[in-house]
Amino acid sequence: MKLQELDDSLQALKDKVISVDKTTDKRIYLTCESEKSFGICKFLYEDLGCRFVIATGIDSDNYFEILYHFAYDELGCVITVKSLVRDKNNPSVDSLANLLPAASWIEREVHDELGIEFKGHPDMRRLILADDWPEGVYPLRKERKK
Amino acid sequence: MSWKIKALKKSTWVFHVNTGACNNCDIEVVDLLTPKFDVERFGIKLVGSPRHADALLVTGVVTAQAAPRLREVYMQTPKPCVVFAIGACACGTGIFHKGYHVVGPVDKIIREIDPNAIIAYVPGCPPKPEAMISGVVKAWSAL
Repeated sequence: MKLQELDDSLQALKDKVISVDKTTDKRIYLTCESEKSFGICKFLYEDLGCRFVIATGIDSDNYFEILYHFAYDELGCVITVKSLVRDKNNPSVDSLANLLPAASWIEREVHDELGIEFKGHPDMRRLILADDWPEGVYPLRKERKK
Repeated sequence: MSWKIKALKKSTWVFHVNTGACNNCDIEVVDLLTPKFDVERFGIKLVGSPRHADALLVTGVVTAQAAPRLREVYMQTPKPCVVFAIGACACGTGIFHKGYHVVGPVDKIIREIDPNAIIAYVPGCPPKPEAMISGVVKAWSAL
């Protein structure tokens, strides 16, 4: 598939995403609301055949961001789905773990560090925090720094 | 010099403890045992249990999860023993100074249970194998 065809297939997501940003030919950002991210990831994985690389959780000031990075190896292109979680008190997003088992551990890690609930995750046990770390304290949230 | 110290200096058996290192120091510690440096010619040998060890090679900043385990390993090591803090993180927490998971540098954790512990510092990120050999030699001459 050529780059132009990739762009065309991403058009299918037009009603789901807020914006499509292309910083270079090999880096595409799809920004979306958290409810839509599962469908977009499913499209990238099943229809386009992208490879799931890793996810990132960020505490921005007004919302949480979950970035799902997908690689399209034929073109060497990395597509990042930016899922905006607006509810800061009860942040939650649909889990990818049932679709992509590779996402299971990174979602557990994001849950540990930022306290984001992944709905439908098969096994949400603690992954990287110490055993005696108190429940409900999330080390990478910004309010903890202040 | 007591016979125990003399024996320790003749053949130092070391146990490697990773208390939260990034694996960089660990690679250098393993490098130390390869034929290029071959520290077994000095009688230094890696062993699989702290109960057999004369020295602990501690790499990495001490995390909240690892601190009780490091204390346990230190208590299991026969005395006299030398603790080598390998790398910038083990010597003084390094770039992880303000991390939420950090309890303290290695010497602080060890001195909590044994104020008279013999601790040698090998700074560097990671320290070269030559620096570790030099640290061992300095620790020997200080004993």
